[in-house]
This record gives sequence, structure tokens and C-alpha cells, in this order.
Amino acid sequence: MKNIIETRDLHKVYASGIHALKGINLEVKEGEFCILLGLSGSGKSTLLRCLNKLIDSTSGEINIDGENVVTASGYTLRRIRRQIGMIFQQFNLIKNVTALTNVLSGKLGYVSLGHSLTFSYHKEDIDAAHENLKRVGLLNFANKKVKNLSGGQQQRVAIARALMQDPKVILADEPVASLDPATADTVMKYLGELNRKDNMTVICSLHFLSLARKYGTRVVALKDGKIVFEGSPKELDERKFKEIYGEDAEEVEIR
Amino acid sequence: MKNNLKITLKTFFTDLLFWIYLLGCLYYLFNYWFGFELENIYLLVGGLILTLLFMLSGISLGRKLFLPSRFTELKWSRTFWGWSVILLLIVTFFVGWYLVEVNPYKFFTKFGNARGIMSGLFNPNFDILSMSLKALTETIYLALLATLFAIPFAFILSFFAARNLMPKTLLGNTVYVAIRTFATLFRSIEAIVWAIIFSVWVGIGPFAGMLALMIHSIAALTKLYSEQIENIDDGPVEAIKATGANTLQVWVFAVIPQIISPYLAFTIYRWDINVRMATIVGFVGGGGIGLLLLQQQQLLRWQNVGLIIWLIAAVVWIMDMTSAKIREKLIEM
Ligand SMILES: Nc1ncnc2c1ncn2[C@@H]1O[C@H](COP(=O)(O)OP(=O)(O)OP(=O)(O)O)[C@@H](O)[C@H]1O
Ligand SMILES: [Mg+2]
Repeated sequence: MKNIIETRDLHKVYASGIHALKGINLEVKEGEFCILLGLSGSGKSTLLRCLNKLIDSTSGEINIDGENVVTASGYTLRRIRRQIGMIFQQFNLIKNVTALTNVLSGKLGYVSLGHSLTFSYHKEDIDAAHENLKRVGLLNFANKKVKNLSGGQQQRVAIARALMQDPKVILADEPVASLDPATADTVMKYLGELNRKDNMTVICSLHFLSLARKYGTRVVALKDGKIVFEGSPKELDERKFKEIYGEDAEEVEIR
Repeated sequence: MKNNLKITLKTFFTDLLFWIYLLGCLYYLFNYWFGFELENIYLLVGGLILTLLFMLSGISLGRKLFLPSRFTELKWSRTFWGWSVILLLIVTFFVGWYLVEVNPYKFFTKFGNARGIMSGLFNPNFDILSMSLKALTETIYLALLATLFAIPFAFILSFFAARNLMPKTLLGNTVYVAIRTFATLFRSIEAIVWAIIFSVWVGIGPFAGMLALMIHSIAALTKLYSEQIENIDDGPVEAIKATGANTLQVWVFAVIPQIISPYLAFTIYRWDINVRMATIVGFVGGGGIGLLLLQQQQLLRWQNVGLIIWLIAAVVWIMDMTSAKIREKLIEM
């Protein structure tokens, strides 16, 4: 299997002077479900946002599906971004419009500005949006305003939006951190399904070790901007766990 | 070292300002009471001398402000700065009293002068109703058009005046600062001043009034709009960017949906303000009901003035109520 994501000696120093990533060498193979672990502030969000250039990295290389992300701009960057779906902890939907409109916005990377400004979507796009809403079990909610949906439903709308991009890769930044455990598992199930059935590569940051073991095919752990563990979820024992989360951590608190 | 110098300079100029102001106030009072005359230059020289004298002997208001830790143990009444603030307040009060020509005696004994306008208020002349309504309509439409024409300008400018949308490059910053500065500048010039300018430019009448209110509204709305943009939730912006959308698509699909209802609310509020300002603007050549009011007042037709005042009050009251209702609905949206 080829590497779909590769970073070489990736650094990120914020304008405030914080050195958030200190030489990340990450390789993710096509079809993997890669879990990112690490304490709050260890650099998980920073890493994910560097991968699709939502923030500019300071030095190092990033390759996604053979394309150089660091130097990409303009149309090339759009083309790279549209094959990378992104899911956020806070869902990041437009609250006062319908679920369908939100899902349709996933197609923006493919349509021209003029076309999108007239708000006249292609028939195929509207059909696809309905199809994707159906996939996440929300067909009946298509015309509901997003702010009237529950957290779990909103995250599923966000997944449907990402699906509109026909992505090869999905970046998920703590997608279930603001959901209750049962809802969290449902949302993770959808991500797992995309990984297995649609062969999408997923990188997902998490705080729940149980979910990491259940869905991950590989675990990468960050600490202070460096990778401190890489391996299969099974290898993640008590000792490793304490290395990542510090001596005082007990697994109970993040089951 | 550099910091020390800065504090010393700040202290010096604060003290200098304090002493010159104090001497100036005292001079004004002495001049008022005793006809005492003095060249202004002596005030400056005197202020400088006092500053140096007191600073060298360690007594300084500026030091209290910029080196606060030094004197804190003492009760204010035991300190020099405590008394200097009291003294400052007292002389300021007296100077103000004379400058504003405050005269309570006149207020309580000269009510008779206002009898004409008061009786006019209670006996409005309905013969000029149709003429007044016409002028009033002019004013309302003037305000409406000023608001409508201001919207597109303010809408577009607001995006470039929002810190979070402008790239952090030299060009981005320059555009941001320039628009913000112009908005502040144009807004700080009262609509009434614009009306004077435009009544010369395009001639007296409602068009001049409309232009005046429009300029003022563009500046005010640009500021309000762009602050609204700066307060939006950044999440959707990030998410839409991540789909591969370009900058303009991000603005249209992630920014505009979040600002549309506050924008409408602000705009209606602005129309409300503009109706009120349109009356004042009319006084200096902006046409409408204000102009009519001015004419009738100069002719001393108090009953006509009475009717016009009632009409203005009614319109302002109705506008106030409806705009509040509409804004309430918009916020819920
Ligand atoms: N926009 C920013 N500007 C400056 N510093 C930032 C910014 N975003 C994050 N940081 C800093 O970078 C470091 C890594 O933050 P990051 O958000 O990547 O951590 P995280 O692992 O995602 O944490 P969490 O689990 O809390 O989401 C932290 O020290 C944080 O304070
Ligand atoms: Mg994070």
C-alpha cells in the first residue's frame, strides 16, 4: 500500500512564539484509520490543520496523494483541499440555514464562483446531497435548520458535507469530544464505515482510548509537538499510556 | 533606562498640563471678578516654573499616575495629588459656570417668554396639516433613500474593514486601516455639517439632506457591519475553506449567512436614526419638515410650529416602536 499522507520534519511555530510541532515525520497508508492521541495542547489540531493548509506550516514537507501541500496555492490548493474532508469538534455548520444547504456547500470546491453565486446547484449535486444525508440517516431532516438539530445529528450533517467532496482522506479533529458516549459511538461508526466500505483514509484525533482501540488501525501519539508513540492500538498498554498522558494519568478517566 | 526616560517625560508633561490648566483657570476667574489682565505667555512660563519647582521637590501628580506604587500607603487627604484633584474640580466648576452663563434666576422668572410657543403646542393649527404632511413625507423618504443608498457601499466596505477577513499582509493591513480611519473620520463629522456642505454643493432641499445622511450612514454602517463580521463564529469559515472553496465563496457561504440578520437589524435601526436626524438636517438646508419648522419659527407662527412638533413626535414614536419590534423578530431568526 502506498503512503497517501507523508510529512517530513514538519515544524509549526505560531506568531506568539509557541513551538507547536517539532519535527513531525508522519506516514499514513491508503485505507488506514489513524488515531491521533495526546494531551490537550500537544499539537493534534495544529497538525491536522497543517495537512490541508488551513494554517501554514513553518518548515518541512507535506505530501498528500503525491501533491506538495506546502507550496500549493490558488487553484492547486483548492484541488488538494477538495479531496480532503474535514470534521470538527464544534461541527462548524452554518447554524441558521438548512441541513441540505450545509451539505451542498461541500461541493463548493468543484463549482465555479459564478455558478455558486446564483445558488443554482446542479441536479446531480442536489441528488447527491440527499443521498449523503440518507447515508447518515438524516434524509427526513434535509429541510430543517441546523440549529434545531441535536449535537450528534449536526455531526452527521457535517459528515454528509464532507462526503459531498468525494474525499480520499478525512481529517477529524476530536469529532466526538462534545457528544455523549452513545452518540459518540454512532458518529464513530459512520467514520469507520467510510473507512472500510469506501476505502477512505481517516486521521482522527480522540481522547477516548476505548474508541481508539475499537476503530483505529493505527495509533500515533503526540506529546509537546513530537511523536512519542506509533503502533497498533493493541500495543497501547498501561505503560505506553502513562508515557503519553503523564505518570498521574489513569486509564479510567478516558475510557 | 529608556523606560525611565519615557516615564519622566510623561510625568513632566502631565505636571506641566496640570499647572498651566490651573493657572489658566485661576486667571480666567480673576479676570472675570476683578478685570485683572495678563499676557498669555506668563501663564505658560508660570506653569513651567511651577512644574519644575514642584517636581524637583518631589511633589508631582504625574508621578502618582505613572509610578503608582510609590505613595499608596497614604490616605488621599494627606497627599498632594488628592488636594490637587479637589482643587482642579473646584476651579473647573467655577470656570464652567461662568463660561456657560448659567443663570437659574432667568430659568425660573422668564417663563413668560415661552408662552407663545407653549400655547401654540396646545392649539396646533390644523390648516397647515396637508402642507406639513407633505414635508413630513419628504423627510421620511429622504431618510429611507439615504439608508437604502448607504447599504451597498457599507456592505462591501465592511468586508474590507473586518480584521478577521483581511489577510495579515501589508496590503491587507493598509486597506483595513484606511477604511476604518475614513469611517471613523466621516462618522465623527456630524450629519449637520455634511448638510451644510451639500446644501451649497447641490442647493438647498431634500437632496442635500439625503446626501448628508447617506455619507454619515455609510460611515456608521461600515463600522457596525464590520464589527459584526469580526464577531462571527470562525468555525464555519474554516470548514468552508477546507472544502476547497475560494475566498469569495467563503464570504458568501460562511460569512454572509451569519451576518444577514444583524445587518438587517442595524439597517432598520439606522433608518430610525436617520428619520430623526433628517429633521435636524432640514434646519440647515436639508429640506423636509425641518425646513418647514425653521420657516414657521422664524415667522413666529407658533400654532404652526405646534402642529409640526406634534407630527414629528408622532413619527419618531411610531418609527421607534416598529423598528424595535422588527429588530426583535430579526434577532430570533
Ligand atoms: N492560533 C494559535 N495561535 C497561537 N498558539 C496556538 C494557536 N493554536 C494553538 N496554539 C498553541 O499550540 C499548541 C498546540 O495546540 P493544539 O490546538 O494543536 O493542541 P491540541 O492537541 O489540539 O489540544 P486540544 O486537545 O486541547 O485540542 C498549544 O500550546 C496552543 O496553545
Ligand atoms: Mg485541538
